[in-house]
Amino acid sequence: MWQSILFNLIQVAVVVGLAPLVEGVLHRMEENVQSKRGPNIFQVYRDLWKLLQKDEIVSEESSWIFRVAPYVAFVMPIFVTLLIPVLTRYPLFFAFMGDMLAAGFLLALGGFFMALAAVDAANPYGAMGASRTRMVGFLAEPVFMMVFFTVSFTAGSTIPYIVQTSWTAVPGGFFEPVHILVILAFLMLILADESRIPVDNPSGQFELAMIGKSKYLEYSGRGAALIKWAGCMKFMVLTCVLCNVLVTPWGLAAEHTLVAVLLAIPLVLFKTLIFLLVLVVIESSLAKLRLFRISEFLSAAFVICLLAMVTRLMGS
Amino acid sequence: MISLFTEPLDAFCGGFFLLTAIGIVSTRQMLACLRLFMIQALLLVAAALLIGVKLSSGDLVAVAVITFVTKVVAIPWVLKLSLGSEIYAQREIDQVLNIPLALLISAALVLFSYFVATPMVTAVGQPFTNINLPIGLAGLVLGAFTVTVRREAMAQLIGLLVMENGVFFASISIVPHLPVIAEISAAIDVPVMSLIIGLLIRRIHKRTGSTVVSELATLRED
Amino acid sequence: MLAAVLILPLLAALLVLLPIGHRGRWPALVTVLTNAILLALALAIVAHVSHAGALHEWNQSLSIDAFGALLLLLVTFLGFTTAIFSWGYIVERRIGATRTGKVRLYYTLYHLFILSMVAVPVISHVALVWIAVEMTTLMSAFLVAYEDTPASLEAAWKYVVLTSMGAILGLLGILILYWGTRVAGDVPFTWAGLVTGAPHMPKTLLWTGFLLILVGFGTKVGLVPLHTWLPDAHSQAPSPVCALLSGVETSTALFVILRLFPVLQAAPLVADPRPWFIAIGLVSVGAAAFLLLHIRDYKRMFAFSTVEHMGIIMVAVGLGGMPAHLAAMYQLTAHALTKSFCFFAAGTTLVATGTQEVGAVHGLIHRAPLAGTALFLGGLAIAGAPPFVVFISEFSIFRAGLADGQYLSIALLALFVAVAFCALTFHINRIVFGRAEDVPAHAIPRPCLAALVIAAIPMLILGLYLPGPLAALFRAAAATLGH
Repeated sequence: MWQSILFNLIQVAVVVGLAPLVEGVLHRMEENVQSKRGPNIFQVYRDLWKLLQKDEIVSEESSWIFRVAPYVAFVMPIFVTLLIPVLTRYPLFFAFMGDMLAAGFLLALGGFFMALAAVDAANPYGAMGASRTRMVGFLAEPVFMMVFFTVSFTAGSTIPYIVQTSWTAVPGGFFEPVHILVILAFLMLILADESRIPVDNPSGQFELAMIGKSKYLEYSGRGAALIKWAGCMKFMVLTCVLCNVLVTPWGLAAEHTLVAVLLAIPLVLFKTLIFLLVLVVIESSLAKLRLFRISEFLSAAFVICLLAMVTRLMGS
Repeated sequence: MISLFTEPLDAFCGGFFLLTAIGIVSTRQMLACLRLFMIQALLLVAAALLIGVKLSSGDLVAVAVITFVTKVVAIPWVLKLSLGSEIYAQREIDQVLNIPLALLISAALVLFSYFVATPMVTAVGQPFTNINLPIGLAGLVLGAFTVTVRREAMAQLIGLLVMENGVFFASISIVPHLPVIAEISAAIDVPVMSLIIGLLIRRIHKRTGSTVVSELATLRED
Repeated sequence: MLAAVLILPLLAALLVLLPIGHRGRWPALVTVLTNAILLALALAIVAHVSHAGALHEWNQSLSIDAFGALLLLLVTFLGFTTAIFSWGYIVERRIGATRTGKVRLYYTLYHLFILSMVAVPVISHVALVWIAVEMTTLMSAFLVAYEDTPASLEAAWKYVVLTSMGAILGLLGILILYWGTRVAGDVPFTWAGLVTGAPHMPKTLLWTGFLLILVGFGTKVGLVPLHTWLPDAHSQAPSPVCALLSGVETSTALFVILRLFPVLQAAPLVADPRPWFIAIGLVSVGAAAFLLLHIRDYKRMFAFSTVEHMGIIMVAVGLGGMPAHLAAMYQLTAHALTKSFCFFAAGTTLVATGTQEVGAVHGLIHRAPLAGTALFLGGLAIAGAPPFVVFISEFSIFRAGLADGQYLSIALLALFVAVAFCALTFHINRIVFGRAEDVPAHAIPRPCLAALVIAAIPMLILGLYLPGPLAALFRAAAATLGH
């Protein structure tokens, strides 16, 4: 049991510690694709360090929500990390505390507090960004539920550790249409939820066009650092769900030894790198959608997921 | 090795076949539509090859080759030839329904095709029909849906071709030993259809200055 | 003999392209001659089939039975009369064409169109029959769009897209039936093979295949509610093309549907096809009859009458039994003969007056006596007035139905036919009689008149007297529809 708890803590440490690195690599790759040199891959750590050194300025008009929100947003991805497979293919100590639905709701809770905080600061851009994020969130919700249902139908369970093994249980199961379609739908979901390119421009600096970023405009110092860090972790958590739960459990530790778990870290990072490559290709080949066309993007994801369910339930 | 994975690989082709059909219903760019159609034809070729090798049916390999030659090579070429560049490289295309609604209806249509196909599949129980028949039927229905909701002549033509692809996707599983003569004539029929419709589109464009066929509505009862 | 039927139009299609002759008379001459030979061949085939039963050639890949022979006879007869009419309409009056090159194109497509239609009854393999039916659409697309006006292009577009959609649905239906024959054992995929294989086919395959073919080919036949393209195409095409489209092209598609009737009856466990045929037919007849009431274009009027007649044939087949099937064959023949005459009359009227609108023509009988008389006779004949052939065929349908005790179907059919009769005669009356405008009519080319006379002869004679060999052919054809 103690070993199980230890492995769980290692998982959390990996996510907390390496999430900024993943973000840094992504930035670097994006710039490289655009024929620029790009920032150092450790630049995110430096930013975080710099922000933590600075004073925090909080508006007198704002309430406690504004102060609490960064902590909530920071803690939620850590909770989720306890539930999902990051390094191992066998369930760890906290694995049965919650299923994929719980993970989704925990992440949504962080987002909810951020939206409240954005409105709380009374910056007009914040409220605008919050309402847009909510709009995307409402449209993404049915897709998330469909992914969840499809996966649970296929695997007969909603615990991520059990789901991940179901794809490799039968030979050729990897190529089942349901698997491919669910992966595709979830990828589109990540793009929407993480405010990435066809939905939002993460590197845009124009407040009027922002969807995700405008919520954090009022934060400074420690609050800004926590939010930035939380964003990195959330991204890494979703990447892990996609790579480890939905795609395959390949590369994860199968044995209950510390060495195996530690060896899994570079393999997982490698898988993440491949995912980042895909993401960079998507982001540099697509243009940002107009706001009212986001609904088309997400309804496409919904229909893809529905198709996955149909082919699964009726096809075999 | 291949034979162990034939069924899942065929299912894999089928899944993407469905996706391309839905993409053709909902995409806005004309050229994207055409490319999706070509990808769909390639998936059809792949599925025909897979099943052909598995059932060691030379007919199906011939179907694969014919499909490749006609749908991936000949049809885009014929369209380019008959349409001229300004119609071929269309800009955005319009449709009657908004895209989310069209997508939802397509999903319902896919469900419908599974309901139609399942009794036939269970009645006969031939290999691969459980995958190919419903998906082919869905391709047929989605193609018909494309023809109905699109206002653009070229997109309607692609809808027809998607219907044809759907029929072929179903036929490679239900009748793997159809005489080659029938396959060849069907294969000739497809480019001829594209050629004739392409020429018709060009005449319409020349006469009316547009290819938005829904604007052609002078003939009706009142 | 069957092979010659296929090769001859193909040769003619090449021959008309030769740059011989002046103002397009060469293609017209070639077309009239080849279609006369085709008609003679068809008569020989009919004689053979009536005496010796079904004819097979080329290792059974070509075969024809009595029903096919009847269709072949109708196609070739209309091909012949239309060839003569085209001479006047397309070559002499130059309607829709200014260049001789375009006239040559017309004739090339004409032969290919005839080829695709004669191929339908001649080919044995059902999958190849599908291709022939699809080719009838593709080859006639540019004939419909021949006049190159926006309206005719619109009509051609609807025609090609809708009937191709139908054809692809029908293709899946045919492939499913083929699947059924494989499951049923090694029966050949011909119409006869389907009948023998039907009892062993899985029920759901047979039924799904039939429904797909009914919807798919029903689009081509113009059954309501899939008829929307038909009035457009049949009114915008040049009149000789309309005669072929309405007279026999719809019948070739109907041929495929009717061929499935005995197949379904051979598998009694599936479902009784008869109520389906009656219901679908009645819907078409009823809708067409009421749509006929307010019509503005007289070619469109004849087009709706085609929808009506296709419905009547469906009802007649659905009534079941030898007398009704005999009447259905009679009706098929009557429709082809009369409708081609009607479109020739309409074309002549168009030549004389220059308009297709019902409201724009009055007193035609005074302005252009020949065109007026033709339109009057055609209108009466197609509406079903005695002593023309349609009257006899419709009457025999009623009699067969009443003898069989199907009062409701016959009552509805009679009601709709009466409505259609009133509508047709009302419109014809408005055009033909009344005060004439003082605009002089254009002269009518002589080939058009010749075609009118040739087409009128069987329309009149068959209404009064049915020659023995033809009656035998009808009986043999009706027998292929089962019981």
